[in-house]
Amino acid sequence: MSSNMIMLKSSDGASFEIEEAAARKSKIIANMIEVECVDEDKAIPLQNVTGNILALVIEYCNKHIVDDDDDVATEEASEEEEEAKKKKVDDWEAEFMNSMSLETMFELLLAANYLNIKSLIDLVCQTIANNIKDKTPEEVRKIFSIENDFTPEEEEEIRKENAWAFG
Amino acid sequence: MVANFGDDKPAGSSMIEQLVADVTCYALCDLDYSSLCQLSMTSSSMRKAANDDKLWKSLYHKEFTDQEHLLNLNPVNGWKAYYAATKTVMNLNYEFFYIIGSRSLNRMNSLWLNSDYVKCFNASGELFSGYDAVMGRWEFCFNNWEFGFDLEARDVQLRIMNNLAWVTTFAIDGIIGSPFHVTNVFELHNGHWLMVHHHSSLIPNHVAANH
Repeated sequence: MSSNMIMLKSSDGASFEIEEAAARKSKIIANMIEVECVDEDKAIPLQNVTGNILALVIEYCNKHIVDDDDDVATEEASEEEEEAKKKKVDDWEAEFMNSMSLETMFELLLAANYLNIKSLIDLVCQTIANNIKDKTPEEVRKIFSIENDFTPEEEEEIRKENAWAFG
Repeated sequence: MVANFGDDKPAGSSMIEQLVADVTCYALCDLDYSSLCQLSMTSSSMRKAANDDKLWKSLYHKEFTDQEHLLNLNPVNGWKAYYAATKTVMNLNYEFFYIIGSRSLNRMNSLWLNSDYVKCFNASGELFSGYDAVMGRWEFCFNNWEFGFDLEARDVQLRIMNNLAWVTTFAIDGIIGSPFHVTNVFELHNGHWLMVHHHSSLIPNHVAANH
């Protein structure tokens, strides 16, 4: 293993090799590296993240470490180039989020939160918010499998509580 | 912010309902008021999440930027109720100026509380008291104004206490250019905000020059 690669081990025992720079996207892992509790030849165990989710996290980190390198290389880039690059990242992120089920998305959010990867938390939260925006209660219930547990009295209460918004 | 599946409340079984409150709040913080309202109507746990006081406080300050003087406000019924009342009264206040421009007597009729104690001070300095007299005056104005008023409300300041809301505005006419100070007072009756007082003063030219 080269010196700037580290190993991550998922809760179900899968091992992943990742560039240190990419792994540092996670504040938790970055801290571990800082305090030198990462053994050269030992994998960092991540007890709250399964292999399939960790693979997605790594895919995200790898993609964004490349982008960060680009940032340094093209400091003088024109506005159009900047915009084109941003669009490329946005497209990639949209495709990335589109490729997974809602259940996977929530697991990814938990993992991003546990590993403290702010930009990934933002991305997943934004996707969840987009699934809520401008949807009726029925549509939101269907998308997220939420069960309506209101009593008839509560139904009347929430109708009154929110009538102003739909007047 | 550490995510766990919360087990301190009998939440619904869907994944979105089992996120810890901090994460849910974070995910919802960019939603607009109507999306939050719709979400709050899906289930008890989502109602709790979407009615979060911090969310509504931040929504209020994002939208009503002229109300800086209310930064330290602590509304008794929570920020969602305060946001709702503010939004409703703001819209009624804009409706008032729209009515002046369109001279719609029907809409003016339903904007006001039908009561003896409502009062209207025109820019002319005359006082009209009681619903019938006030409506009679608006009818007279709408029929006799030589030109319509295309008023633009600026610097709208709004204060709400329980069932009472008062709005002060600097209004400028787009056609003749005369500026007015306007005070509108609304009361909440059976869930409806209704106008009970209107006071309008023409700002003298030498004062207006400073605006």
